[in-house]
Amino acid sequence: MTATRIVITGMGVFCGAAQSIPDFRTAVLQGKSGVGPVDLFDVADFPSKIAVQVKGYDPAAHFTRRQVTRLSRTDQFALLAAQEALTMSGLAGCYDPYDIGVCVGGGAAGMFQAEQWLAADLRGERSRPAQLRGVLPDKTCTELALAYRLAGYQGSITTACSSSASAIGWGADLIRSGRQKAMLCGGADSLALLTFAGFNSLKVMDPEPCAPFSLGRQGITLGEGAAFVVLEEEQAARARGADIIGYLLGYALVGEAHHMTAPEPSGESAARVMTAALAAAGLDTGRVGWVNAHGTGTPANDVVESNAMKQVFGERVQQVPLVSTKPITGHCLGAAGSVEAVATLLALNAKTIPRTLHFRGRDPECDLDYCHDASKPSDCSIALSNSFAFGGNITSLALAAADLQQGGA
Amino acid sequence: MDTFSCSIAITGASAITVAGTGLEPLLAALKEGRSCLQPVPEDMRADGQGLLWGRAEQFKAADFMPPLKARKLDRCSQFAVATTGQALREAGIDKGAIPAERIGIALGCGFGGIANSAEFLTGYFKQGVAGLSPVLFPNTVANAPASNASIEYGFKGPNITFVQRFCSAESAILAACRFIEEGRADVMLAGGVDELTSLMMKGFAALGQVHSYASGFGEGCGILVLEREEHAVARGAAIKARIGRIATLGLLLPNAEQAGIDRLLPAQRSFDQVSFSGAGAGIDLLAGKIGAQTVLRTGQVVGQSLAMGGVALGALSRLLRPGQSGLHLAASPEGPYFSFSLHGDTPA
Repeated sequence: MTATRIVITGMGVFCGAAQSIPDFRTAVLQGKSGVGPVDLFDVADFPSKIAVQVKGYDPAAHFTRRQVTRLSRTDQFALLAAQEALTMSGLAGCYDPYDIGVCVGGGAAGMFQAEQWLAADLRGERSRPAQLRGVLPDKTCTELALAYRLAGYQGSITTACSSSASAIGWGADLIRSGRQKAMLCGGADSLALLTFAGFNSLKVMDPEPCAPFSLGRQGITLGEGAAFVVLEEEQAARARGADIIGYLLGYALVGEAHHMTAPEPSGESAARVMTAALAAAGLDTGRVGWVNAHGTGTPANDVVESNAMKQVFGERVQQVPLVSTKPITGHCLGAAGSVEAVATLLALNAKTIPRTLHFRGRDPECDLDYCHDASKPSDCSIALSNSFAFGGNITSLALAAADLQQGGA
Repeated sequence: MDTFSCSIAITGASAITVAGTGLEPLLAALKEGRSCLQPVPEDMRADGQGLLWGRAEQFKAADFMPPLKARKLDRCSQFAVATTGQALREAGIDKGAIPAERIGIALGCGFGGIANSAEFLTGYFKQGVAGLSPVLFPNTVANAPASNASIEYGFKGPNITFVQRFCSAESAILAACRFIEEGRADVMLAGGVDELTSLMMKGFAALGQVHSYASGFGEGCGILVLEREEHAVARGAAIKARIGRIATLGLLLPNAEQAGIDRLLPAQRSFDQVSFSGAGAGIDLLAGKIGAQTVLRTGQVVGQSLAMGGVALGALSRLLRPGQSGLHLAASPEGPYFSFSLHGDTPA
């Protein structure tokens, strides 16, 4: 029996680095970072004052006044990215609406609005109740289902920074198990005072643009946005004449059972999730050309992830670059996994391994190839995309380029 | 396919609710038709008289963990850690008895993390950067309960948290069953956890929901121990019930409602016991399509929430007698909808 293979037939992105797939392709391949000062709220008192914010965003350019009142910033990003993905897939009318589901990875969700309600309430001022509507991430999922008439599965995953990677993996599972024929999967998140202040309070925000795997790195740079993919079973997608733009060959998600904020230090868990993703995809390590790292730029994460790579790839590890696209996009938290999955697919299809920006110097504990100097050409069609989170919720996706069928390595 | 390629057994279940600790107080209240809901304290009513809620006041975290550990956990994490321990005990699983990589956890979590988020932000709004408490921030995430339980009991298998309206626990249980079916885990702890705070009541009041969706809100945790039947048999576990089919829909489309209902509900429409969870008109719509000898509405007894489906399924699995058929239906005002078919254990 041939295993059901899951193809990607649509992608969409709306984030601080780019607001469409063509622009995001340019940003990823040319290494254009969206890092800049934050003006969404007052950051004057924090050590880090930068992020990859969606700048100059005018909701009225995309939504009616009524929609703007009803939809959180996160909901709006999600609807815009999902629209691009669904349009690219040409899915409309191809399946019964009950056969198409939606799964969203969430993070701070509508917290940006809800914290304005709280601040006004604490000042004893009249606050707008509508600001509370999107405080839980499931509202984004419902909005997508209603807007695009996706009547099948509806679910939101809330595992912090791995949410949307898990949403993509779980969406594929729902197709593989025969429960759905197509899934819109991804994640959305917006900057919020909660997360900006929170990571600053933990002293894991770099005052300078994040510099993953570099000497002297001090932590993350936050980002915001949304990214979605449309998943289908391969034969059904081909039968309807869809363009195949990539594959989700497999995924894994595990718990570290170690600590709420610190990664398991040996890298054993991170290695285990990558190995499990490869096993789920039926791949051996020799098929993997590179890995899109979780690569936050925190001192701890980058060493752990580097050590995990050695455990997975052994003697071949120096031939498998570990790169981070977070200097381009910022850490988009609930949306990070899907933003990075899309970045990985774009790079795989362009036969390019993206550069890890903002190199500050070689860290002896990070002694792999991180493409710090430049992007690299690559014939390889398969890459892993890692997403690690608070609570030790870690996920790895095994992704492949569109040319996999034509004998891509 | 709404069924699984393997038989999935429920070998343990436990709950913490306003009725008390464990499933027994809840089952007693259900049997007596006695609501455990209490009046919302006067200073929290915000929007009228006669409001009831199901706050688990009897729960004392220190009964389940050292006080120092309890202080580090948010309320949902305390519920999850305590309930997980009880469910494992009922399933006869000692800590470390299952290889760590083969046991995982999937929870629905509704408002978990919101209380910590509000407290963290309040510190900032009142005192600026000096008011930020880094201790609070890690438990602002909704996956804290599942993760803290995994840390406590050493679960290194799949670990996932869902929120999807009143069907958050059902979402998690579906994923757990799939992970077992795929062989990602041998044993999954699965269910839901939620908390109830004065800030939530204030928010519900602001949104005008205290007399609708938020009426009779509850808190607590309900967790099942799920495993492949062969695995349960091999370790000599007692099987309480089996999950035969899980179907779900996100929306019931206008002019295509019947098609949706036909997908959601099993062909068999008459059951020995039926459990309802959730809110909205969808529940009444679905209830009208089903015949049952016994109807369980746990929400009326201990309160409803976004993640009390684990409590309802725990009660149903415990009440099903050998050979009996059971159905659990859950719905949210704008969807989703879930249907679980259960079977009481049939003695060999």
